Amino acid sequence: MPNRDVQILLVEDNKADAMLTIRALKKHNLANNLIHLVDGAQALDFIFAKGDHIKRNIENKPKVIFLDLKMPKVSGLEVLQILKKDERTKFIPVVMMTSSKEEKDIVESHHLGVNSYVVKPVDFEKFSKVVTDSGYYWLEINNAPLQ
Amino acid sequence: MKTNLTTMSHVGQALQLALKANKIGPSLEEQTIHLGDLTVANEQIDFSNKAKQKSTAEHAVGDKKSHFQKKEKKKRSAELITANIEIARQNEEKEKRAAELAIANKKLVKENKAKKKRAAQLIIANKELLFQNSEKAKRARELEVANKELESFSYSVSHDLRAPLRAINGFTQVLLEDYQEQFDEEVKNLLDEIVANSKKMGELIDNLLEFSRVGKQHVSKTEINMQALVDSVICDLRQQFPKLKTRFTGKIVGNIKADKHMLKQVFINLISNALKYSGKKEKAEIEVGSYDEKGNRVYYVKDNGVGFDMRYYDKLFGVFQRLHSNVEFEGTGVGLALIHKIITKHEGKVWAEAKVNEGACFYISLPIL
Repeated sequence: MPNRDVQILLVEDNKADAMLTIRALKKHNLANNLIHLVDGAQALDFIFAKGDHIKRNIENKPKVIFLDLKMPKVSGLEVLQILKKDERTKFIPVVMMTSSKEEKDIVESHHLGVNSYVVKPVDFEKFSKVVTDSGYYWLEINNAPLQ
Repeated sequence: MKTNLTTMSHVGQALQLALKANKIGPSLEEQTIHLGDLTVANEQIDFSNKAKQKSTAEHAVGDKKSHFQKKEKKKRSAELITANIEIARQNEEKEKRAAELAIANKKLVKENKAKKKRAAQLIIANKELLFQNSEKAKRARELEVANKELESFSYSVSHDLRAPLRAINGFTQVLLEDYQEQFDEEVKNLLDEIVANSKKMGELIDNLLEFSRVGKQHVSKTEINMQALVDSVICDLRQQFPKLKTRFTGKIVGNIKADKHMLKQVFINLISNALKYSGKKEKAEIEVGSYDEKGNRVYYVKDNGVGFDMRYYDKLFGVFQRLHSNVEFEGTGVGLALIHKIITKHEGKVWAEAKVNEGACFYISLPIL
């Protein structure tokens, strides 16, 4: 098994949500190889090793991407669409993490091939549980193709 | 005439007899001359008689003819009289009909006028309707726009209000976890209040969003096994509250065609309410049953809890309306409003009966299709 330098790619524009997510994951020792990016454009550059991330090895894929739905520049849905259409990235598990329980967002995400759709609860206790459960599942339980 | 002819022939016979008797008298020659004369005379008489006879016959024929003609004339004049009477009758009839037609004509003219007037009125009414329709279409477009705005508003609320609330709640809890040694009890209580209130606000937002979502949702009806639905709701609640001691009774007879997801929400709300308001009783008991009434199937959830004051009944199903304080019983005041909305969408009815400290019974009635 290749030694991945990235296990979780967190794409989140809300600073508070990002801090709380990272804190929850850290508490359960799930944030050792976590990269946090603040919008969809940066996420695409990182994943496809372009722009600021041109020196990165594209083969070094994250084990899971936690993707916020509503972000400036390139939205979560657009990132999802690009990743799932590209042969090189379509097997990377993507978890949509959002405040919105809007049916149309849920349906659209699944149309685009999302692997999981998680609504972030307001209550921090519940929020921590949702985040760490997801992290644990995708890092420890799930088996995704290596390629 | 016949008598004359007979007489004539008698005269001839007498003359012949006389001549026979005279044979012995005059000489043969004389006798021969006389006889010739007599024969001529006789022939003349005979001829004249025949002519007379013929004329008489002719007269008889003529008489017969004129008699027949007279009869014919009489018959014809009788016929003419009859025809005349008939014509007179027909004339009368025609006059009568003409009078009737004149009346009918007048009536038609009047009716035509009324029709024209009505047509004019209809044209005006039509124009009015067209105007109203275009107004309605305009109004519908406006409502559609307003609806879209509301949708994006609720989307915004859902997405943008929850995030800062999560931050308030989250960081307060981080403070309580990481720095609890540095806080005295007072600070801890204050921080607990922030956590509780932000949590409560999150629930309010969630319930409000659920309420607006149900309003937009389309009712998709399927045959529902109601006993199974109620059992699954009770089972879920027992898992959620493992210490539950409430006794459940009652039986549901008959299924119903409804939106399963929505109806489950109704029973979750009704039974949760019953649990909440009977929770402080020594022996809490909830009865879930059904009965049929006038083509409707009525389901009810009855508890022996604190009930409510029927004086405030008209507030019971209003959004954010509560008949108990938050200190007594927690709640957002959306649950019953949501039930009301769902049942109204199903063309059903919802009502309740209660007595303070004796319990409440909530009924929903749905049409049996």
